[in-house]
Amino acid sequence: MSTIDRRQFLGRMLTLGGTALATAAFISLLSCSKEPNAESDTDNTTPTPPPPPPGDAAYLAVARGESPTTLVQRSISALGGMERFVKPGNDVIIKPNICGSGRTPEYATTTNPEVVAALVALCLGAGAKRVRVMDYPFSGTAEDAYDNSGIAAAVRSAGGEMEVMTSMKYQDMPIPNGRSITSCHVYQDILDTDVLIDVPIAKHHADTVLTLGMKNLMGVVDDAPGYHKADMAERVTDLNTLVRPHLVVVDAIRILMQNGPTGGKLEWVKQTNTIIASHDIVAADSYGATLFGKTALDLPIVHAGARRGLGTMDLSGIKIEEIAA
Amino acid sequence: MASKKRSRRWRWIRLLVQILVLALFLYLLIGNRVGATTFFPGDLFFHLDPLTGLSAMLAEKRFIAPMLLGLLTIGLTLVLGRVWYSWMCPLGTLLDWTSLRRRYRNALGHLSQWRQVKFLVLVAVLFAALLGTLSLVILDPITILFRTVTSGVLPGLNSLTTWTETRLYRFDALQGFLDGFDRFIRGHLLPAAEPYFIPSLALLALFIGILALNAIRPRFWCRYVCPLGGLLGLVSRVSLLRRTVDQEKCNSCRRCARECPVNAIDSEKAYVSDPGECTLCLKCVENCPTRAIAVRQQPQPVEPELEGLTRRQVLGSFGIMLAGVALLRLAPLLRGTEQRRLRPPGSSEDDVMNKCIRCGVCVNICPTRAIHPSGTGADYDGVWTPMLVPRLGYCDYICNRCGQVCPTGAIPGLSLPEKQQTVIGKAEIDQDRCYPWSQGFNCQVCQEMCPLADKAIELDEVNVTNGEGLETVLRRPRVVRDRCIGCGLCENRCPVPGEAAIRVYPDDGEGEHRRRGRL
Repeated sequence: MSTIDRRQFLGRMLTLGGTALATAAFISLLSCSKEPNAESDTDNTTPTPPPPPPGDAAYLAVARGESPTTLVQRSISALGGMERFVKPGNDVIIKPNICGSGRTPEYATTTNPEVVAALVALCLGAGAKRVRVMDYPFSGTAEDAYDNSGIAAAVRSAGGEMEVMTSMKYQDMPIPNGRSITSCHVYQDILDTDVLIDVPIAKHHADTVLTLGMKNLMGVVDDAPGYHKADMAERVTDLNTLVRPHLVVVDAIRILMQNGPTGGKLEWVKQTNTIIASHDIVAADSYGATLFGKTALDLPIVHAGARRGLGTMDLSGIKIEEIAA
Repeated sequence: MASKKRSRRWRWIRLLVQILVLALFLYLLIGNRVGATTFFPGDLFFHLDPLTGLSAMLAEKRFIAPMLLGLLTIGLTLVLGRVWYSWMCPLGTLLDWTSLRRRYRNALGHLSQWRQVKFLVLVAVLFAALLGTLSLVILDPITILFRTVTSGVLPGLNSLTTWTETRLYRFDALQGFLDGFDRFIRGHLLPAAEPYFIPSLALLALFIGILALNAIRPRFWCRYVCPLGGLLGLVSRVSLLRRTVDQEKCNSCRRCARECPVNAIDSEKAYVSDPGECTLCLKCVENCPTRAIAVRQQPQPVEPELEGLTRRQVLGSFGIMLAGVALLRLAPLLRGTEQRRLRPPGSSEDDVMNKCIRCGVCVNICPTRAIHPSGTGADYDGVWTPMLVPRLGYCDYICNRCGQVCPTGAIPGLSLPEKQQTVIGKAEIDQDRCYPWSQGFNCQVCQEMCPLADKAIELDEVNVTNGEGLETVLRRPRVVRDRCIGCGLCENRCPVPGEAAIRVYPDDGEGEHRRRGRL
């Protein structure tokens, strides 16, 4: 048994204490939260409304026809071309609706793969450095959902990347304009990316009447079930004040008329061969509602979005370009 | 000089074989989860392990063809002796590397009787299996390692990785690197989704306990406890190749007896080794200063230096097992108190109890983390058998992987259409917690989530007067019991905090069956 004298003992205690302190300092350094990179315009209590489109570009474009790819190309060019949204070297994230792994595209529960692929190609054509496509499916694994939706194959052949939304990128973010919720656990890349394109499929939704662009953004948080409260419309709108897509493309090639969001029978699917595009999420959603014989007033979320200044639901006051392709 | 060269070579060859086998084990474990096509089947080790095969067949009284691979191991042991111990066993390899061998020298003059314990454990495992209880197979080294890595080590590693990554990801400069790193490991080395399992801590504690036993004796677990060691030890008593000592050359330096990693060499009896214990590590061969030791064929079986178990010991252990199993079998009476014991799709309570070797392959592969190793609950007999915990993970509608990988058929290999109609349980709504029922506002997440085209949850519209005196229409969820398959997605996603307002319970018939018990 070796013995140590007092000096050695104190020395060892000091070393031990120092190590513990250094470890604690390292951990607290890791734990300290970075200041959220809030946008400069968010210290107002209301979100900035969408700006008017440049030049003679349409405020909202609606294209109808057979080929989804052509419809996307024509509607985007009516808005002034993808160059209006994507600058050379930009990082782009496309957020389709890939809600679950259990359905293939013909059931109209997930965004049309051709539409997503056409957008990827347009973004790359406008000089985007990287185009990523992602969603957080509520059932099944992301890989299965990406594959079964047909989106993975379409995006890869168009030159885009599928990203599985990974745990490390979810961060707590304050919502400065929030009313019902003042923070959310949101995917940081969605906030940081240069261009965010929201590509919902227009479909029936048991809880919120329809799911369109605003509702589709619930896929960027990982605690979506928590939004289901009495004031769900306000909560989704709060999230929309933080996550502002630069472009919304509503896929209405096939729409799900009932038993959404998960459907499951082809008889509930209607072929409408329509693409709606706008930089204004409320306007795009309001137009989408008309495909179901409804207006924004029937949709609590879109209505709340209009009231809160996220966009306009007055379709008569904006320049709509209708395209037959 | 020549002898030194040879000795080093054997040591390195053994280390290389150990590394290769351990690497293969981990590769199959990860490949199995990822769904990668591996050159060997993912459950290779469970089939090579004769103990799991023998126990499963004894318990089920049925011949399981893939388990014949275990005969390979038996055959190898018949020729070479207990090479599994020092060359192949992945758990043994880890224990080998963590043994503090340098500090330990064998006491001379007697061989410890403690080594008999592993034979008793073996007898206990096999008797229990014969009586239909596979709980003791949790002592099998392959299941221990697989279960610990799957349910303990990987989740721990994963949470540590995510924790660190999440904090570092806030720094812009690191994002590019982290992005690449995360893509590299997720879905491969680590699962894409966060794994977490109820008994992770218990599993790790058991494993650390086994490691800690190394402090008493190097490879304490393998030498004294491991039932597979007992089985192969019995077989190796009649093995073809034996360690021999050339009495002409031996100078009685005792080095071999002192340094034998399993203390199998008797210094009192001309340094012969017990063939039931010698593991052919070749350490004595490489260290013998006079090169008196060799391994060669011996036609005459040598009487082992240690006697086997006496008839009294065997009968005694049978008696203890009978008493133990009888007590464990009281458990079905208790199971009625534990209401929610959901089994993987297609496997009945009997399937699980009679066939499951607690290996954790299903736990490893389940992509939505529905399957957890059960705790003891009211029932020690079913410890670490697969159990669905819907609040933590649901059974994905388009997945049937667990049945495809189960090495013993405890989870039947259902086709996807079959599995999609297999009832795991039935969802029931807790009207005291459900928002539309108890709080007067609409929420129908469960109905949305239901993966069936003909939803097993329907909404009833009712006109109610809410707390503010306003007439509103409420849509209250109701389960259509005949349609529900109990996948648990509704329970998993129910937004009510804490215990869900819709929960999956075992189906009635199954419940009756359980209460009746099996003995």
